[in-house]
Amino acid sequence: MTGVRRGAIGLTLLGLAGLIGLFWMSFFWVSTEANQGVVQRIFYVHVPAAWTSFLAIGVAALCSAVYLWLRDDKLDRAAMCAAEGGLVFATIVLTTGPLWGKIAWGTYWTWEPRLTLTLLLWFIFVGYFMVRNATEDPDKGKRFAAVVAIVGALDIPFIHLSVIWFRSLHPQPVVAKPEGPTLPADMLATLMVGLGTFTILFFGLFLFRYALEGLRSEVDLRARRSAA
Amino acid sequence: MSGYFAQISAIVRKDLLLELRSRERIASMGAFAILAGVLFNFSIDTTTVRPQDVAAGLVWMTLVFGGLLGVGRTFQIEAQDGAMQGILMSPVPKDAVFLAKVIANFVLLFTVSLLVLGVFALFFGMDVSANLGWVVLVLGLGSLGFVALATLFAAISTGTTMGETLLPILVFPLLVPMVVFGVGSMGRLIAGRPFSEVEGNVRMLGAFAVGAVAAGAALFRFVVED
Repeated sequence: MTGVRRGAIGLTLLGLAGLIGLFWMSFFWVSTEANQGVVQRIFYVHVPAAWTSFLAIGVAALCSAVYLWLRDDKLDRAAMCAAEGGLVFATIVLTTGPLWGKIAWGTYWTWEPRLTLTLLLWFIFVGYFMVRNATEDPDKGKRFAAVVAIVGALDIPFIHLSVIWFRSLHPQPVVAKPEGPTLPADMLATLMVGLGTFTILFFGLFLFRYALEGLRSEVDLRARRSAA
Repeated sequence: MSGYFAQISAIVRKDLLLELRSRERIASMGAFAILAGVLFNFSIDTTTVRPQDVAAGLVWMTLVFGGLLGVGRTFQIEAQDGAMQGILMSPVPKDAVFLAKVIANFVLLFTVSLLVLGVFALFFGMDVSANLGWVVLVLGLGSLGFVALATLFAAISTGTTMGETLLPILVFPLLVPMVVFGVGSMGRLIAGRPFSEVEGNVRMLGAFAVGAVAAGAALFRFVVED
Protein backbone atom coordinates (compact mmCIF):
# COMPACT_ATOMS: atom_id res chain seq x y z
CA MET A 1 0.00 0.00 0.00
CA THR A 2 2.88 2.38 0.69
CA GLY A 3 3.93 1.97 -2.92
CA VAL A 4 0.46 3.02 -4.05
CA ARG A 5 0.53 6.03 -1.73
CA ARG A 6 3.98 7.04 -2.92
CA GLY A 7 2.78 6.75 -6.51
CA ALA A 8 -0.32 8.78 -5.68
CA ILE A 9 1.71 11.60 -4.13
CA GLY A 10 4.23 11.58 -6.98
CA LEU A 11 1.65 11.61 -9.77
CA THR A 12 -0.56 14.19 -8.07
CA LEU A 13 2.37 16.55 -7.47
CA LEU A 14 3.44 16.09 -11.08
CA GLY A 15 -0.14 16.72 -12.19
CA LEU A 16 -0.46 19.86 -10.07
CA ALA A 17 2.84 21.18 -11.42
CA GLY A 18 1.58 20.45 -14.90
CA LEU A 19 -1.63 22.29 -14.09
CA ILE A 20 0.32 25.41 -13.12
CA GLY A 21 2.25 25.10 -16.36
CA LEU A 22 -0.95 24.56 -18.32
CA PHE A 23 -2.59 27.61 -16.78
CA TRP A 24 0.49 29.72 -17.50
CA MET A 25 0.56 28.47 -21.10
CA SER A 26 -3.14 28.95 -21.74
CA PHE A 27 -3.33 32.39 -20.10
CA PHE A 28 -0.02 33.97 -21.16
CA TRP A 29 1.82 31.92 -23.73
CA VAL A 30 -0.57 30.61 -26.35
CA SER A 31 -1.81 33.04 -29.01
CA THR A 32 -5.40 34.21 -28.86
CA GLU A 33 -7.73 32.48 -31.29
CA ALA A 34 -8.75 34.91 -34.03
CA ASN A 35 -12.49 34.27 -34.27
CA GLN A 36 -13.52 33.62 -30.68
CA GLY A 37 -10.99 35.70 -28.83
CA VAL A 38 -9.96 35.13 -25.27
CA VAL A 39 -12.84 32.80 -24.37
CA GLN A 40 -11.37 30.04 -26.51
CA ARG A 41 -8.67 29.55 -23.84
CA ILE A 42 -11.14 27.48 -21.82
CA PHE A 43 -10.61 24.89 -24.55
CA TYR A 44 -7.34 23.80 -22.89
CA VAL A 45 -9.22 22.73 -19.77
CA HIS A 46 -12.44 21.62 -21.43
CA VAL A 47 -11.04 19.12 -23.92
CA PRO A 48 -8.51 17.45 -21.57
CA ALA A 49 -11.28 17.05 -18.95
CA ALA A 50 -13.51 15.42 -21.57
CA TRP A 51 -10.74 13.09 -22.66
CA THR A 52 -10.11 12.12 -19.03
CA SER A 53 -13.78 11.37 -18.32
CA PHE A 54 -13.90 8.99 -21.30
CA LEU A 55 -10.64 7.42 -20.22
CA ALA A 56 -12.25 6.93 -16.81
CA ILE A 57 -15.26 5.01 -18.10
CA GLY A 58 -12.86 2.82 -20.07
CA VAL A 59 -10.76 2.09 -16.99
CA ALA A 60 -13.90 1.53 -14.89
CA ALA A 61 -15.40 -0.87 -17.44
CA LEU A 62 -12.15 -2.77 -17.87
CA CYS A 63 -11.62 -3.16 -14.11
CA SER A 64 -15.29 -4.14 -13.74
CA ALA A 65 -15.03 -6.83 -16.41
CA VAL A 66 -11.93 -8.32 -14.81
CA TYR A 67 -13.60 -8.03 -11.39
CA LEU A 68 -16.56 -10.11 -12.57
CA TRP A 69 -14.06 -12.65 -13.83
CA LEU A 70 -11.57 -12.87 -10.95
CA ARG A 71 -13.70 -11.49 -8.08
CA ASP A 72 -10.80 -9.62 -6.58
CA ASP A 73 -12.11 -6.75 -4.44
CA LYS A 74 -9.10 -4.65 -5.46
CA LEU A 75 -10.43 -4.51 -9.03
CA ASP A 76 -13.85 -3.40 -7.87
CA ARG A 77 -12.21 -0.68 -5.78
CA ALA A 78 -10.19 0.42 -8.81
CA ALA A 79 -13.33 0.54 -10.97
CA MET A 80 -15.14 2.59 -8.35
CA CYS A 81 -12.26 5.06 -7.98
CA ALA A 82 -12.03 5.44 -11.77
CA ALA A 83 -15.78 6.06 -12.00
CA GLU A 84 -15.54 8.67 -9.27
CA GLY A 85 -12.75 10.44 -11.13
CA GLY A 86 -14.80 10.20 -14.29
CA LEU A 87 -17.77 11.80 -12.60
CA VAL A 88 -15.60 14.70 -11.40
CA PHE A 89 -14.02 15.31 -14.81
CA ALA A 90 -17.36 14.96 -16.63
CA THR A 91 -18.72 17.59 -14.25
CA ILE A 92 -15.82 19.87 -15.24
CA VAL A 93 -16.73 19.36 -18.91
CA LEU A 94 -20.37 20.14 -18.21
CA THR A 95 -19.48 23.38 -16.38
CA THR A 96 -16.82 24.65 -18.77
CA GLY A 97 -18.87 23.66 -21.84
CA PRO A 98 -21.89 25.91 -21.18
CA LEU A 99 -19.62 28.77 -20.01
CA TRP A 100 -17.76 28.60 -23.29
CA GLY A 101 -20.94 27.98 -25.26
CA LYS A 102 -22.68 31.06 -23.86
CA ILE A 103 -20.02 33.31 -25.35
CA ALA A 104 -18.98 31.34 -28.43
CA TRP A 105 -22.41 30.12 -29.57
CA GLY A 106 -24.65 32.56 -27.70
CA THR A 107 -26.37 29.85 -25.72
CA TYR A 108 -25.59 27.86 -22.60
CA TRP A 109 -26.82 24.61 -24.02
CA THR A 110 -26.94 23.20 -27.50
CA TRP A 111 -27.36 19.59 -28.53
CA GLU A 112 -23.86 19.49 -29.86
CA PRO A 113 -23.00 15.76 -30.12
CA ARG A 114 -20.00 15.74 -27.83
CA LEU A 115 -21.72 17.83 -25.18
CA THR A 116 -24.76 15.55 -25.32
CA LEU A 117 -22.56 12.48 -25.08
CA THR A 118 -20.79 13.86 -22.01
CA LEU A 119 -24.12 14.60 -20.33
CA LEU A 120 -25.22 11.00 -20.92
CA LEU A 121 -21.85 9.73 -19.69
CA TRP A 122 -22.36 11.79 -16.54
CA PHE A 123 -25.69 10.08 -15.98
CA ILE A 124 -24.13 6.66 -16.54
CA PHE A 125 -21.63 7.45 -13.77
CA VAL A 126 -24.48 8.65 -11.53
CA GLY A 127 -26.38 5.43 -12.20
CA TYR A 128 -23.23 3.47 -11.35
CA PHE A 129 -23.07 5.01 -7.87
CA MET A 130 -26.82 4.84 -7.26
CA VAL A 131 -26.86 1.10 -7.98
CA ARG A 132 -23.80 0.55 -5.85
CA ASN A 133 -25.33 2.22 -2.84
CA ALA A 134 -28.84 0.79 -3.20
CA THR A 135 -28.22 -2.81 -2.18
CA GLU A 136 -28.17 -4.35 1.26
CA ASP A 137 -25.50 -6.85 0.30
CA PRO A 138 -22.32 -4.94 -0.71
CA ASP A 139 -21.13 -7.77 -2.99
CA LYS A 140 -24.36 -7.57 -4.93
CA GLY A 141 -23.90 -3.82 -5.31
CA LYS A 142 -20.40 -4.38 -6.67
CA ARG A 143 -21.66 -6.86 -9.26
CA PHE A 144 -24.56 -4.62 -10.30
CA ALA A 145 -22.30 -1.58 -10.60
CA ALA A 146 -19.81 -3.58 -12.67
CA VAL A 147 -22.57 -4.53 -15.11
CA VAL A 148 -23.67 -0.87 -15.35
CA ALA A 149 -20.10 0.24 -16.12
CA ILE A 150 -19.58 -2.44 -18.77
CA VAL A 151 -22.91 -1.87 -20.55
CA GLY A 152 -22.37 1.89 -20.33
CA ALA A 153 -18.93 1.65 -21.95
CA LEU A 154 -20.25 -0.67 -24.67
CA ASP A 155 -23.15 1.66 -25.40
CA ILE A 156 -21.01 4.79 -25.72
CA PRO A 157 -19.99 4.19 -29.37
CA PHE A 158 -23.68 3.76 -30.23
CA ILE A 159 -24.66 6.90 -28.36
CA HIS A 160 -21.83 8.81 -30.00
CA LEU A 161 -22.88 7.72 -33.47
CA SER A 162 -26.55 8.41 -32.82
CA VAL A 163 -26.09 11.93 -31.49
CA ILE A 164 -23.93 12.80 -34.52
CA TRP A 165 -26.55 11.23 -36.77
CA PHE A 166 -29.28 13.22 -35.05
CA ARG A 167 -27.56 16.50 -35.78
CA SER A 168 -27.13 15.61 -39.43
CA LEU A 169 -30.87 15.05 -39.65
CA HIS A 170 -31.65 18.37 -37.98
CA PRO A 171 -29.01 20.88 -39.03
CA GLN A 172 -28.01 23.11 -36.14
CA PRO A 173 -26.34 26.50 -36.42
CA VAL A 174 -22.80 25.83 -37.54
CA VAL A 175 -20.66 25.16 -34.52
CA ALA A 176 -17.12 26.38 -34.88
CA LYS A 177 -14.85 24.14 -32.88
CA PRO A 178 -11.17 24.94 -33.07
CA GLU A 179 -10.08 21.39 -33.61
CA GLY A 180 -8.55 19.16 -36.18
CA PRO A 181 -5.21 19.23 -37.94
CA THR A 182 -5.59 22.94 -38.68
CA LEU A 183 -4.72 23.81 -35.10
CA PRO A 184 -1.66 26.14 -34.95
CA ALA A 185 1.45 24.69 -33.36
CA ASP A 186 1.34 26.67 -30.11
CA MET A 187 -2.33 25.78 -29.53
CA LEU A 188 -1.61 22.14 -30.26
CA ALA A 189 1.30 22.20 -27.81
CA THR A 190 -0.88 23.74 -25.07
CA LEU A 191 -3.60 21.17 -25.75
CA MET A 192 -1.09 18.33 -25.54
CA VAL A 193 0.26 19.67 -22.23
CA GLY A 194 -3.37 19.83 -21.05
CA LEU A 195 -4.10 16.26 -22.09
CA GLY A 196 -0.95 14.98 -20.42
CA THR A 197 -1.54 16.99 -17.25
CA PHE A 198 -5.14 15.89 -16.83
CA THR A 199 -4.28 12.26 -17.48
CA ILE A 200 -1.50 12.33 -14.87
CA LEU A 201 -3.71 14.19 -12.43
CA PHE A 202 -6.49 11.66 -12.95
CA PHE A 203 -4.22 8.74 -12.18
CA GLY A 204 -2.76 10.58 -9.18
CA LEU A 205 -6.21 11.20 -7.69
CA PHE A 206 -7.23 7.69 -8.70
CA LEU A 207 -4.33 6.18 -6.73
CA PHE A 208 -5.13 8.37 -3.70
CA ARG A 209 -8.72 7.17 -3.70
CA TYR A 210 -7.58 3.62 -4.29
CA ALA A 211 -5.21 3.74 -1.31
CA LEU A 212 -7.96 5.26 0.83
CA GLU A 213 -10.42 2.53 -0.13
CA GLY A 214 -7.77 -0.07 0.63
CA LEU A 215 -7.29 1.37 4.12
CA ARG A 216 -11.04 1.52 4.61
CA SER A 217 -11.52 -2.13 3.77
CA GLU A 218 -8.63 -3.03 6.07
CA VAL A 219 -10.26 -1.11 8.93
CA ASP A 220 -13.52 -2.92 8.21
CA LEU A 221 -11.76 -6.24 8.30
CA ARG A 222 -10.03 -5.50 11.60
CA ALA A 223 -13.23 -4.20 13.18
CA ARG A 224 -15.01 -7.37 12.16
CA ARG A 225 -12.19 -9.54 13.46
CA SER A 226 -12.09 -7.84 16.86
CA ALA A 227 -15.88 -8.05 17.09
CA ALA A 228 -15.66 -11.77 16.46
CA MET B 1 -28.57 -27.68 -28.36
CA SER B 2 -32.19 -28.72 -28.77
CA GLY B 3 -32.32 -28.98 -24.99
CA TYR B 4 -31.24 -25.36 -24.75
CA PHE B 5 -34.11 -24.22 -26.97
CA ALA B 6 -36.55 -26.46 -25.11
CA GLN B 7 -35.51 -24.77 -21.86
CA ILE B 8 -35.97 -21.33 -23.38
CA SER B 9 -39.36 -22.17 -24.81
CA ALA B 10 -40.50 -23.65 -21.49
CA ILE B 11 -39.84 -20.35 -19.69
CA VAL B 12 -41.30 -18.30 -22.53
CA ARG B 13 -44.40 -20.48 -22.45
CA LYS B 14 -44.73 -20.08 -18.69
CA ASP B 15 -44.42 -16.29 -18.87
CA LEU B 16 -46.78 -15.87 -21.79
CA LEU B 17 -49.33 -18.25 -20.29
CA LEU B 18 -49.24 -16.31 -17.02
CA GLU B 19 -49.69 -13.10 -18.96
CA LEU B 20 -52.47 -14.56 -21.06
CA ARG B 21 -54.38 -15.60 -17.96
CA SER B 22 -53.77 -12.56 -15.77
CA ARG B 23 -53.48 -9.94 -18.57
CA GLU B 24 -51.89 -7.77 -15.91
CA ARG B 25 -49.00 -6.22 -17.78
CA ILE B 26 -50.51 -6.09 -21.26
CA ALA B 27 -53.62 -4.38 -19.90
CA SER B 28 -51.65 -1.77 -17.98
CA MET B 29 -49.27 -1.12 -20.89
CA GLY B 30 -52.09 -0.94 -23.44
CA ALA B 31 -54.19 1.40 -21.31
CA PHE B 32 -51.12 3.51 -20.62
CA ALA B 33 -50.37 3.79 -24.34
CA ILE B 34 -53.87 4.89 -25.31
CA LEU B 35 -54.16 7.35 -22.43
CA ALA B 36 -50.73 8.76 -23.27
CA GLY B 37 -52.04 9.34 -26.77
CA VAL B 38 -55.01 11.24 -25.36
CA LEU B 39 -52.72 13.41 -23.22
CA PHE B 40 -50.33 14.00 -26.13
CA ASN B 41 -53.31 15.25 -28.13
CA PHE B 42 -53.76 18.07 -25.62
CA SER B 43 -50.05 18.81 -25.55
CA ILE B 44 -49.93 19.64 -29.27
CA ASP B 45 -50.95 23.10 -30.40
CA THR B 46 -52.33 22.25 -33.82
CA THR B 47 -52.15 25.86 -34.96
CA THR B 48 -48.35 25.72 -34.88
CA VAL B 49 -47.49 22.01 -35.31
CA ARG B 50 -49.06 19.36 -37.48
CA PRO B 51 -49.69 16.28 -35.30
CA GLN B 52 -48.43 13.86 -37.95
CA ASP B 53 -45.06 15.63 -37.96
CA VAL B 54 -44.37 14.82 -34.33
CA ALA B 55 -46.33 11.55 -34.19
CA ALA B 56 -43.26 9.33 -34.75
CA GLY B 57 -41.55 10.84 -31.71
CA LEU B 58 -44.69 10.39 -29.63
CA VAL B 59 -44.95 6.71 -30.63
CA TRP B 60 -41.41 6.08 -29.38
CA MET B 61 -41.85 8.05 -26.17
CA THR B 62 -44.99 6.08 -25.42
CA LEU B 63 -43.13 2.83 -26.10
CA VAL B 64 -40.23 3.81 -23.85
CA PHE B 65 -42.42 4.82 -20.90
CA GLY B 66 -45.05 2.12 -21.39
CA GLY B 67 -42.38 -0.49 -21.97
CA LEU B 68 -40.63 0.42 -18.73
CA LEU B 69 -43.96 0.01 -16.96
CA GLY B 70 -44.31 -3.57 -18.15
CA VAL B 71 -40.71 -4.73 -18.41
CA GLY B 72 -39.87 -3.29 -14.99
CA ARG B 73 -42.17 -5.93 -13.53
CA THR B 74 -40.48 -8.82 -15.35
CA PHE B 75 -39.00 -10.29 -12.23
CA GLN B 76 -41.75 -9.19 -9.87
CA ILE B 77 -43.55 -12.51 -10.04
CA GLU B 78 -40.36 -14.44 -9.39
CA ALA B 79 -39.42 -12.12 -6.53
CA GLN B 80 -42.39 -13.47 -4.59
CA ASP B 81 -42.23 -16.76 -2.72
CA GLY B 82 -38.61 -17.34 -3.72
CA ALA B 83 -39.63 -18.43 -7.21
CA MET B 84 -36.50 -16.80 -8.62
CA GLN B 85 -34.39 -19.17 -6.55
CA GLY B 86 -36.32 -22.04 -8.09
CA ILE B 87 -35.61 -20.93 -11.63
CA LEU B 88 -31.95 -20.23 -10.90
CA MET B 89 -31.45 -23.55 -9.17
CA SER B 90 -33.00 -25.47 -12.03
CA PRO B 91 -30.41 -26.85 -14.47
CA VAL B 92 -31.06 -24.09 -17.01
CA PRO B 93 -28.13 -21.89 -18.10
CA LYS B 94 -28.55 -18.31 -16.91
CA ASP B 95 -28.37 -16.92 -20.42
CA ALA B 96 -31.27 -19.17 -21.44
CA VAL B 97 -33.31 -17.63 -18.62
CA PHE B 98 -32.37 -14.18 -19.89
CA LEU B 99 -33.17 -14.97 -23.53
CA ALA B 100 -36.51 -16.47 -22.51
CA LYS B 101 -37.40 -13.37 -20.50
CA VAL B 102 -36.38 -11.17 -23.43
CA ILE B 103 -38.53 -13.17 -25.86
CA ALA B 104 -41.57 -13.07 -23.57
CA ASN B 105 -41.13 -9.34 -22.99
CA PHE B 106 -40.58 -8.78 -26.69
CA VAL B 107 -43.87 -10.49 -27.58
CA LEU B 108 -45.57 -8.26 -25.05
CA LEU B 109 -43.96 -4.99 -26.10
CA PHE B 110 -44.23 -5.70 -29.81
CA THR B 111 -47.96 -6.31 -29.40
CA VAL B 112 -48.28 -3.03 -27.52
CA SER B 113 -46.22 -1.22 -30.16
CA LEU B 114 -48.59 -2.39 -32.89
CA LEU B 115 -51.49 -1.18 -30.77
CA VAL B 116 -49.75 2.17 -30.31
CA LEU B 117 -49.13 2.41 -34.04
CA GLY B 118 -52.78 1.73 -34.84
CA VAL B 119 -54.18 4.04 -32.20
CA PHE B 120 -51.78 6.89 -32.94
CA ALA B 121 -52.45 6.55 -36.67
CA LEU B 122 -56.09 7.10 -35.81
CA PHE B 123 -55.50 9.88 -33.26
CA PHE B 124 -52.92 11.91 -35.16
CA GLY B 125 -53.78 11.17 -38.76
CA MET B 126 -50.53 9.29 -39.46
CA ASP B 127 -50.59 7.60 -42.84
CA VAL B 128 -48.61 4.38 -42.44
CA SER B 129 -50.12 2.45 -45.33
CA ALA B 130 -47.33 3.30 -47.79
CA ASN B 131 -44.50 1.78 -45.72
CA LEU B 132 -46.41 -0.43 -43.29
CA GLY B 133 -44.02 -3.39 -43.56
CA TRP B 134 -40.94 -1.27 -42.92
CA VAL B 135 -42.59 0.61 -40.05
CA VAL B 136 -43.44 -2.70 -38.40
CA LEU B 137 -39.85 -3.86 -38.90
CA VAL B 138 -38.52 -0.67 -37.29
CA LEU B 139 -40.90 -1.10 -34.33
CA GLY B 140 -39.81 -4.74 -33.99
CA LEU B 141 -36.09 -3.94 -33.96
CA GLY B 142 -36.61 -1.04 -31.57
CA SER B 143 -38.72 -3.17 -29.22
CA LEU B 144 -36.08 -5.91 -29.23
CA GLY B 145 -33.24 -3.53 -28.34
CA PHE B 146 -35.34 -1.86 -25.68
CA VAL B 147 -36.50 -5.13 -24.15
CA ALA B 148 -32.97 -6.57 -24.01
CA LEU B 149 -31.55 -3.57 -22.13
CA ALA B 150 -34.60 -3.09 -19.93
CA THR B 151 -34.77 -6.77 -18.94
CA LEU B 152 -31.13 -6.79 -17.83
CA PHE B 153 -31.59 -3.62 -15.81
CA ALA B 154 -34.97 -4.74 -14.46
CA ALA B 155 -33.13 -7.71 -12.94
CA ILE B 156 -30.68 -5.24 -11.37
CA SER B 157 -33.27 -2.78 -10.08
CA THR B 158 -35.43 -5.56 -8.63
CA GLY B 159 -32.40 -6.58 -6.58
CA THR B 160 -31.90 -3.09 -5.11
CA THR B 161 -33.70 -1.32 -2.30
CA MET B 162 -34.78 1.43 -4.69
CA GLY B 163 -36.64 -1.01 -6.92
CA GLU B 164 -38.28 0.21 -10.11
CA THR B 165 -37.53 3.89 -9.43
CA LEU B 166 -33.92 3.14 -10.33
CA LEU B 167 -34.77 1.66 -13.72
CA PRO B 168 -35.27 4.85 -15.78
CA ILE B 169 -32.07 6.40 -14.39
CA LEU B 170 -30.09 3.39 -15.57
CA VAL B 171 -31.84 2.77 -18.87
CA PHE B 172 -32.69 6.19 -20.34
CA PRO B 173 -29.10 7.31 -21.06
CA LEU B 174 -28.44 3.99 -22.77
CA LEU B 175 -31.61 4.15 -24.84
CA VAL B 176 -30.66 7.33 -26.70
CA PRO B 177 -29.44 5.44 -29.81
CA MET B 178 -32.69 3.50 -30.01
CA VAL B 179 -34.79 6.66 -29.84
CA VAL B 180 -32.60 8.56 -32.35
CA PHE B 181 -32.48 5.78 -34.94
CA GLY B 182 -36.08 4.70 -34.31
CA VAL B 183 -37.64 8.14 -34.57
CA GLY B 184 -35.34 9.06 -37.44
CA SER B 185 -36.38 6.14 -39.57
CA MET B 186 -40.04 6.04 -38.60
CA GLY B 187 -40.62 9.75 -39.10
CA ARG B 188 -39.43 9.51 -42.68
CA LEU B 189 -41.24 6.27 -43.44
CA ILE B 190 -44.51 7.79 -42.24
CA ALA B 191 -43.86 10.83 -44.40
CA GLY B 192 -43.84 8.43 -47.34
CA ARG B 193 -40.10 8.58 -48.06
CA PRO B 194 -38.51 5.48 -49.63
CA PHE B 195 -36.84 2.87 -47.41
CA SER B 196 -33.44 3.42 -49.01
CA GLU B 197 -33.35 6.82 -47.34
CA VAL B 198 -33.53 5.35 -43.83
CA GLU B 199 -31.67 2.11 -44.46
CA GLY B 200 -28.67 3.26 -42.42
CA ASN B 201 -30.88 4.09 -39.44
CA VAL B 202 -32.59 0.71 -39.58
CA ARG B 203 -29.26 -1.11 -39.80
CA MET B 204 -28.01 0.76 -36.74
CA LEU B 205 -31.24 -0.05 -34.92
CA GLY B 206 -30.67 -3.72 -35.76
CA ALA B 207 -27.03 -3.57 -34.64
CA PHE B 208 -28.11 -1.93 -31.38
CA ALA B 209 -30.70 -4.67 -30.77
CA VAL B 210 -28.23 -7.49 -31.49
CA GLY B 211 -25.58 -5.84 -29.31
CA ALA B 212 -28.03 -5.35 -26.45
CA VAL B 213 -29.22 -8.98 -26.56
CA ALA B 214 -25.64 -10.29 -26.68
CA ALA B 215 -24.42 -8.05 -23.85
CA GLY B 216 -27.45 -8.94 -21.74
CA ALA B 217 -27.03 -12.68 -22.30
CA ALA B 218 -23.35 -12.45 -21.36
CA LEU B 219 -23.83 -10.30 -18.25
CA PHE B 220 -27.12 -11.60 -16.85
CA ARG B 221 -25.43 -14.41 -14.91
CA PHE B 222 -23.53 -11.86 -12.82
CA VAL B 223 -26.73 -10.06 -11.92
CA VAL B 224 -28.72 -13.04 -10.64
CA GLU B 225 -26.01 -15.16 -9.07
CA ASP B 226 -26.23 -16.33 -5.40
